[in-house]
Amino acid sequence: MLGRPALLCALVAMTGALVLFFLGARTDRRDLSEAASRALAVAAAFISLAVAALVSALFAHDFSLAYVVNYSSRSLAGPYTISALWGGMEGSLLFWTLLLTLFSTVAIRSVGSTRPVVVSWAGCVLAGISAFFLLLLIVPANPFTTMSEIPADGRGLNPLLQSPGMLIHPPLLYTGFVGFSIPFAWAMGALLSGQADSQWFASTRRWTLFAWSALSIGIVLGGAWAYTELGWGGYWAWDPVENASFMPWLTATAYLHSVVIQEKRQMLKVWNVALILATYVLAVFGTFLTRSGILSSIHTFTEGDTGVWFLPFLAAMLLAGLATIALRLDHLKSDNRLDALVSRESAFLANNVLFVAAAFTVLWGTVYPIVAEVVTGVRLSVGPAFFNAVFAPLGLAIVALTGIGPLMSWRRMSRGALGRLIRPPVIAGSAVTIGLAVAGVRSVGALLAFGFCTFTAVAIGGEFVRGSRVYRSRHRLGWAPALARTLLRNRRRYGGYVVHLGVVLIVIGFAGSAFKVERNAFLKPGESMKVGAYNLTYEGMRQARTSEKQINEATVVVGRGGSRIGVMHPQSNFHFAQRQPQSEVAIRTTPVEDLYVVVTQFDADGSAAIRSFVNPLTWWIWAGAAVMALGMGVLLSGGRGEVAPAAARNAVRERVVVAG
Amino acid sequence: MRKALLVSLTCWIMLAMPWALAAPEDVANDIAGRVTSPFCPGVTLHDCPSQAAADLRTRISAWAEAGWGRNRIMATLESEYGPQIRAVPPASGTGLVAWVLPVVVLAAGAGLALTLIRHWSAATRRARTGEAPEPDSLSLSLSERRRLDDELAAFKGR
Repeated sequence: MLGRPALLCALVAMTGALVLFFLGARTDRRDLSEAASRALAVAAAFISLAVAALVSALFAHDFSLAYVVNYSSRSLAGPYTISALWGGMEGSLLFWTLLLTLFSTVAIRSVGSTRPVVVSWAGCVLAGISAFFLLLLIVPANPFTTMSEIPADGRGLNPLLQSPGMLIHPPLLYTGFVGFSIPFAWAMGALLSGQADSQWFASTRRWTLFAWSALSIGIVLGGAWAYTELGWGGYWAWDPVENASFMPWLTATAYLHSVVIQEKRQMLKVWNVALILATYVLAVFGTFLTRSGILSSIHTFTEGDTGVWFLPFLAAMLLAGLATIALRLDHLKSDNRLDALVSRESAFLANNVLFVAAAFTVLWGTVYPIVAEVVTGVRLSVGPAFFNAVFAPLGLAIVALTGIGPLMSWRRMSRGALGRLIRPPVIAGSAVTIGLAVAGVRSVGALLAFGFCTFTAVAIGGEFVRGSRVYRSRHRLGWAPALARTLLRNRRRYGGYVVHLGVVLIVIGFAGSAFKVERNAFLKPGESMKVGAYNLTYEGMRQARTSEKQINEATVVVGRGGSRIGVMHPQSNFHFAQRQPQSEVAIRTTPVEDLYVVVTQFDADGSAAIRSFVNPLTWWIWAGAAVMALGMGVLLSGGRGEVAPAAARNAVRERVVVAG
Repeated sequence: MRKALLVSLTCWIMLAMPWALAAPEDVANDIAGRVTSPFCPGVTLHDCPSQAAADLRTRISAWAEAGWGRNRIMATLESEYGPQIRAVPPASGTGLVAWVLPVVVLAAGAGLALTLIRHWSAATRRARTGEAPEPDSLSLSLSERRRLDDELAAFKGR
């Protein structure tokens, strides 16, 4: 009852905020901006009320609402009732809008009274975006549509979404996507107000880092969910929706690197604003892909009219962003120029070229089926084989550059000095590559990946050793305290290195897939099959029934080298509410390799169709993600003062120059 | 020279061996990852969970075990399900654009970055040494340059 009126009130308050922010920006009146900020908070409160109304309807099994019928049931386990909030298109858009208005309120309030015109323009952009999403919720994607006839039970949540990972993965992805609105609004605000000096990006960098961190963890959790739930033995399929989350991640990563050049050297301002724009537009493009039904994916929501609404919004954001950049080009001139080819600036620039080329590659591969259909009339699809072939060289180059970059100094460096620093990592990387080749590894991609990963790990390790050595000699500290002090005294630099180490571990995990083994067999009870070094014996099937599903569980005894090492229980279940079969994977995981067993079918005589995989080094992907998260924590824990001291200095200098 | 050639040839043969010696099941799995499932839109045959997809995977395994090569299996699949079954764009015709465009973008980006770095670092070097930049439009021959120097010297001597 409360939901729809709350959304209507939120739209009214948001429109008020939009108008007040605009007037505040045009007239430079602080009282109008403050009133707008309060209107934004009121809108956020109304949206929170709408979310609370939907969540309580889900928990109360209020089947008068179509959304509750479509995405929940009486038998749905408690925690997954929360997942139902983002399990359907309307609910996910409501959740998106809640995050957007909450983030907007926090962002606007956190800057206080500094730069009121920039804040007003940024608020204008954020209120405009929020109003669009509210309009979506009121017209084509209303989560409070009522049923003409109230059913006794709902259709239930898709069994694939009934997983612990789904409680965290979508909120983190949305946090990432929505979080990118803040840097976008801030950059546009700075440009529209004509105050595109050094300070705007100090705020954007922190928000970008926050959104990027959430998106990174969200993407990895999505991979973990696919690995444990979908039953095809992999974690990344280059699916259009996976790609949609990966593209803004790539451009945001490029921005987080190139903004350092802007901060240190006052360069690449146009490029950085363009990267922020690209990141936001790609985040919205991902939302469009997920909701338009234009591309086939297991992750998409059902087709509807919502996708059509996103296209003009997407075009408006892109054109308005480009026009604003073009109009303010004179504010974005670089103060300095690059000094030499061998310098950290060059490494960052190369890094940006690779990341943007990678983002383009993913975008191109994703939209190619549409382009091909328009040109040839044949609906084609582009699968993992294409992406792996095109993306792998770019990925390897990025890994190598991750090692080279930290070794270079700012402005210029002699080739001799670089040669001295680079020698140990090169020797280590070459030794690992040659050693593995001699040991029998024949995959060129894997050899290069292990070599580059070793190179980068040694280069980063060297940075920690050099940093710690200073504390050891000055303060007579042991290695561990010196290392901790190195990390904590310069969180931006060394936190970044920890993130890089996490990436190295993840790439090691990816490289392991070159040695993946897959075997399929149809076994009668007592029969065995071999996969890699393992011997799997199917002992039989056990059945059980709950209110939600019929459970069919296989017992598979695992042997290795003649001895029994464990028992695995993959399931092939049938969910009553959705009338849908669903496999539950059994995984035996170690740092060396995962044994992954799925049962896809049972016959009446008790025979089972078993798919089994040996996935080497997959564990390192999750370990790398944990290391990355640790590094992100270190980066985000850096105080504001630490975030952009150079930027603050430059801003003061600019203001003095302007005042003078 | 011959020795180096021999070593490099041996290396390449060793690296290519996994392809040549791949087990039929590995060939079948690889092909299943390169075709779209006719039964699950947008998903490769390898990843499609439907029973019909499992049956088609079994057929491909049987073909591979019967000694069919990759090309023959792909051609058979294409004749049964149409060209849209390919999940990898062909490296010819319009499909070639899919492969070439990312390379072109990367090359253009790298070229632009390199040009910018060279241009900027040259300007910085000139600024450091106090040398005035030469305007792009002023391109002088040796004789013209000598004449300009002479006239400048005469002008200074006045």
